[in-house]
Amino acid sequence: MNTATEEQRTHKAAKRLIRALWVFNWFNSCGFTELLPVVASRFDMERFGMIVVGSPRHADVLFVAGYQTFKSAKYLRRIYEQMPDPKFVVALGSCPFSGGMYWDSYNTIKHLDEYIPVDLYIPGCPPRPEAIFHAVGLVMEMIEGKRKGGRSGD
Amino acid sequence: MVTEISKLLEPFAPREEGNAVWVREPLEEAPRIWQELRELGYDYLAAISGVDWPNRGVIELVYHLWSLQEKSFVHLKVEVPRDQPRLPSACHIWGGSAAVNEREVHEMFGVEFQDNPDLSPLFLEDWEGPPPFRKDFDWRAYVREKYYCEDREEDRGYYKG
Repeated sequence: MNTATEEQRTHKAAKRLIRALWVFNWFNSCGFTELLPVVASRFDMERFGMIVVGSPRHADVLFVAGYQTFKSAKYLRRIYEQMPDPKFVVALGSCPFSGGMYWDSYNTIKHLDEYIPVDLYIPGCPPRPEAIFHAVGLVMEMIEGKRKGGRSGD
Repeated sequence: MVTEISKLLEPFAPREEGNAVWVREPLEEAPRIWQELRELGYDYLAAISGVDWPNRGVIELVYHLWSLQEKSFVHLKVEVPRDQPRLPSACHIWGGSAAVNEREVHEMFGVEFQDNPDLSPLFLEDWEGPPPFRKDFDWRAYVREKYYCEDREEDRGYYKG
């Protein structure tokens, strides 16, 4: 029964994935203050099948919250490379895409997509939980193949 | 103020504020005073902060000491010359807390601490510029050169302002 093409198999796997997005949070700044109610009981992302996992090796989605210094970007890169495919990266807040309020700081990176591939940016300082759920909806569309991710390889 | 501390710090004209004492000490006396304060119960080095004074040509380091028994602070100021900032390490007196704080001052101000076993960068890994907390460090020029490019679409907002 090996008639299914690679694409079909991927699609099937993706459909299974869509019901249970496992999230790894990489947060070292204020973006996480609005991610907390998403995780906790106020908005409770477990209702939608998403849970926070302790290891990037189990994760499907990587949330990058807030600005990255060179030191943290190094570890972010390592975490990204440990995640199994298919994987999606969502960057929260203004800092990852423009530097945000650290636009002229000497040690924070200004464009996150120069360091790891980013599928989705959520603007806001920090973004509201509703925006995060909207982004998760878009990620699910990406998994289904209805929407293209921002990754250069796709 | 406890009598022993007042006796120790009297020659340096201490200034008292509530339960805190501010003292400016000469560089060559510093290690002796640190040792004696440690023996008098100032066992917690909360922070070492630095101030750069380019006009006077010195970098001023402030050692914030805390006595957990007496619930009192001693803030020790010591000045090192700006062109050759070097002073003895306090690692053998306050251990790890001194080691980490000295690492930070070393990377931010370029101050060298003799006998500190590990002065590797703490926050600024792969840093190439001069010590960033010195006042003659032109951070605007550094950022413009390192991060921004005039021809790039996404950097256009930076050059507009």
